[in-house]
Amino acid sequence: MRNDLWRLFSWLGVAFGFPWLFLVLLPYVKQSSAAPVPYAESDEAGFVAYPDPNMVRAGASDYGAEIYRREGCAYCHTQMVRPTYAGPDMWRPGWGGREEEGLARETRPEDYIGEGYAQLGYQRIGPDLANVGTRLTDREKLHIQLYNPRANTHESIMPGFRHLYRLVPADGRDAALKLEGKFAPEEGFVVVPTPEAEALVDYLLSRRKDAKLPASIRPAVAEAAPAEAPAQ
Amino acid sequence: MSLDLNQATPEDIRERAAIDRSVRYPVLFFFTSAAAWLFVATLLGFLSGLKLRVPTLWEDCPWLGYSRLFPVHMLALVYGWAMQAGLGVMIWLMARLTRNELKNPVTVIVAGHLWNAGVAVAVITVWAGLGRSMPWLDFPVWVAPLLFIGYLMVTLWLIPMFRARRAGEVYVSEMYLIGAALWFPWIFATANLLVGDEGAATMSTGINAWYMSNLIYFWFAPVALASAYYLVPKIAGRPIHSYPLAQVGFWALAVLAGWTGFQRYVGGPFPAWIPAVSGAASIFIIVAVVAAGANFWFTLRGRQKLWEYSPTLRFTLFGVLMFLAYAVLSGVSSFFSLSQVLQFSHFVVGLDTLAVYGFFSMAAFGAIYYIVPRITGCEWPSPTLIRGHFWFSTYGIGTVVLTMLVGGFAQAGQMNQWDQAFVRSVEVANGWIVGRIVAWLLIAAANLGFFYQLALMFIGRGRRSAGPTLIHAEPGSVGSAEEAVALAGAGGHH
Ligand code: HEC
Repeated sequence: MRNDLWRLFSWLGVAFGFPWLFLVLLPYVKQSSAAPVPYAESDEAGFVAYPDPNMVRAGASDYGAEIYRREGCAYCHTQMVRPTYAGPDMWRPGWGGREEEGLARETRPEDYIGEGYAQLGYQRIGPDLANVGTRLTDREKLHIQLYNPRANTHESIMPGFRHLYRLVPADGRDAALKLEGKFAPEEGFVVVPTPEAEALVDYLLSRRKDAKLPASIRPAVAEAAPAEAPAQ
Repeated sequence: MSLDLNQATPEDIRERAAIDRSVRYPVLFFFTSAAAWLFVATLLGFLSGLKLRVPTLWEDCPWLGYSRLFPVHMLALVYGWAMQAGLGVMIWLMARLTRNELKNPVTVIVAGHLWNAGVAVAVITVWAGLGRSMPWLDFPVWVAPLLFIGYLMVTLWLIPMFRARRAGEVYVSEMYLIGAALWFPWIFATANLLVGDEGAATMSTGINAWYMSNLIYFWFAPVALASAYYLVPKIAGRPIHSYPLAQVGFWALAVLAGWTGFQRYVGGPFPAWIPAVSGAASIFIIVAVVAAGANFWFTLRGRQKLWEYSPTLRFTLFGVLMFLAYAVLSGVSSFFSLSQVLQFSHFVVGLDTLAVYGFFSMAAFGAIYYIVPRITGCEWPSPTLIRGHFWFSTYGIGTVVLTMLVGGFAQAGQMNQWDQAFVRSVEVANGWIVGRIVAWLLIAAANLGFFYQLALMFIGRGRRSAGPTLIHAEPGSVGSAEEAVALAGAGGHH
């Protein structure tokens, strides 16, 4: 009986051990030790390495990442741009990054270095946010999007994250959101962002996964180069 | 497999009664608290759907935002209801299969409380805004040990039982139970240790997806199949059709399941072979499901009519059928041609719900309909409520899966029209989301009857009768003599 049990256990362990080791553990370890790839002189990138070490966990956006996580944004937003053979993501204006500058591309593992957990997302009920920082640069608009999405887009089903904002008496503050018409707060009051909201907006502005790739790793993505995406 | 089907001797009957008595309190504890969680999860499923359709409702209350309700709904459904019901099934099945009494019911009940505390803390923390946007692992990392220890304290008792079993072949059901007992701590620990705020970024996310798929194939599947391999032959009144086929199915699952999961992120920021391998494994694993399904089918050949009478059989078979649907859908949707559209669409929710409710929960209901009369000594009070439970559940899960499948196609198809405004894809999906809301209402209605009956059974107010409660006919008025014999063997009290 004893032997039976151990034999069964061993086989079950082997059956599971293989994928556990080769699919999960080794790629994980390999990725955790991945170092930024230095740019060559000829890349003319303006940074020392890809991904830009300064962009990795830039200041306040770190706290913003926590807010993004806590609020569950990833249940509606992805941060993953698929190559053209896997979906038309890059054809959507701005999703792949700055097209005019020839930088739009699909996202790569290195783009997420330092994030701990890449918010690739569960569903795409709202737009992909991998490069939202390159296409929405207006803080004010982002705050309004978070406070009351319907003030930006009438048909939006994004929930408003009111608890990240405070309704305060209007005494000449200039940090208040410009909400007009039926979205305006009651007379004599204004809506101001909390530090959480500011951090979250910093985080959104830091979503720019379109850094130019060093020539040394570029061939790997050559077949999905954004050049083939139709002009906007 | 030589199950002693209809020829139970008086000693057998006494022995089974003693076994059932020994597991009675822990198993009832798991079933009733699981049912309570199911109720919570169902309500949350309804509310989250409603919030998605009408985002302006209760806008000032952060606890009622979609992105809190939905993860909390999934946590309550997976850990509160499904896994907890599964734990109850595991203990009862192992005791019966190995003919051992449970020596330590008290430890198991303590473990059950620990598990429930873990689930409650997980739900409350995520709800209160400490979630991590990690599907099925949203809870703060310090909650994991509660669940982990609670789980081990329950399943460790399966091992001495297995070792003290009577000589003879190892039943497939036993293998599935041992597999489930071993695999869950392994995947759960792996996921909680590797997936976090530090470490390899995209691999963490991938492992999160791997964990979800492994929880389905390495825990839900083995527990549900262990139960089906035990119950189907019992009710058919004959041994399982093919033991070798059952073995093939078992090992196919064991070898393949660990490779699945990453296909959720095909085209994502991973070394390309990783989602590709997962996609392939999720196709091949259909073999394991077909092997089990075929085995049940042949076991029942000529006696399929039993499906009309036996609640256990009906729920169990429906669960197996939905498992097949899940395996096929999750396999084919990893092909680029479909993933282009369905990946990240509403279909994702349909698929996850199909696994947890359509497949596992239905199989677990089947087991519960069989087990509870045996451990409480009374029969289910109302065939009408059982019938209602089945049909409302079926319509509910059918509605979620179909509307999310069709709605997913509509939503993502529109999204892929890259020259049109994004918000069109939102509008297109709005109508289909109503399906999701209605579905959870149907499921809630289904389960009200179930809770009511379970509560009556719990307080010993079930029907006193020598025969089991059948869906359509009272015992005695069953069509043919053969069926009556089979049903008596299956349902008779012991
Ligand atoms: C219920 C799903 C849902 C949740 C949860 C959600 N969003 Fe959205 N989001 C949407 C939808 C739908 C849109 C598109 C309509 C619109 O622009 O309002 C959108 C649009 C956006 C946009 C504008 C993107 C663009 O390209 O125009 C930003 C930025 C954004 N969301 C950020 C967030 C953040 C940050 C969170 C978490 C705090 C969040 N969203 C949570 C559904 C959601």
